[in-house]
Amino acid sequence: MEYITNKDLDLVGLLQKAHHPAAGAVVLFSGDVRDNNIGKTVDFLEYEAHTSMASKMIENILSDAKKRWNLNIAVAQHRTGKVRVMEAAVVVITASAHRAEAYAANRYIIDRIKHEAPIWKCEFFTDGTKEWGGNCNCHKYTGDVNKHIYEFEDI
Amino acid sequence: MRIEVFAILKEYFSKEFEINERLKTIEELRAHLAIINPASSKILKICRFAVHDEFVADHYELTGTDNIVVIPPSSGG
Repeated sequence: MEYITNKDLDLVGLLQKAHHPAAGAVVLFSGDVRDNNIGKTVDFLEYEAHTSMASKMIENILSDAKKRWNLNIAVAQHRTGKVRVMEAAVVVITASAHRAEAYAANRYIIDRIKHEAPIWKCEFFTDGTKEWGGNCNCHKYTGDVNKHIYEFEDI
Repeated sequence: MRIEVFAILKEYFSKEFEINERLKTIEELRAHLAIINPASSKILKICRFAVHDEFVADHYELTGTDNIVVIPPSSGG
């Protein structure tokens, strides 16, 4: 599985491969580029990754999730390069016997990828400005760059 | 030692560069980078460092031939 790719994410193709005889639930999350942020109109995003580290981390996160929720399938792919509005920057697919596990695991995977994997976005706005944006700022609250506050922990 | 930086750090440093000073630890390297470019000190404080694709702590001892990667806070998704 290629976890980091500079090609368009094939959501339909990935979903087709995510069905499993023991899975009654398949959840697909697509993290899309939206047309606005911090009050500005977004033209496109440019993603950069430390590919080998990010791939290894995503593989480990998927493996953790599979064990924790007894998933049949866990898939994730993240884009690098230029991603336009309405295009997918990241996809996570989880399949399990019942929906509760597939939903929870999906949220866990995307949350950990966003906080931990060495992947960065640069936002390009229609006014010609750009900004490396949306940095994880958990360290402000945890006092440690390796400790994060996850959404899935609130569930 | 060879340094590679990513994302916003490229606005302060070349993508890859050499440091010839004898620095003993990641902590010293972090301080040295901030001296090279003081404007980067704020972001450097919250960066992680990696050697051989593994994150290393501030007390990690540098060998002088290490390839060090400087990782700003993630912003994927």
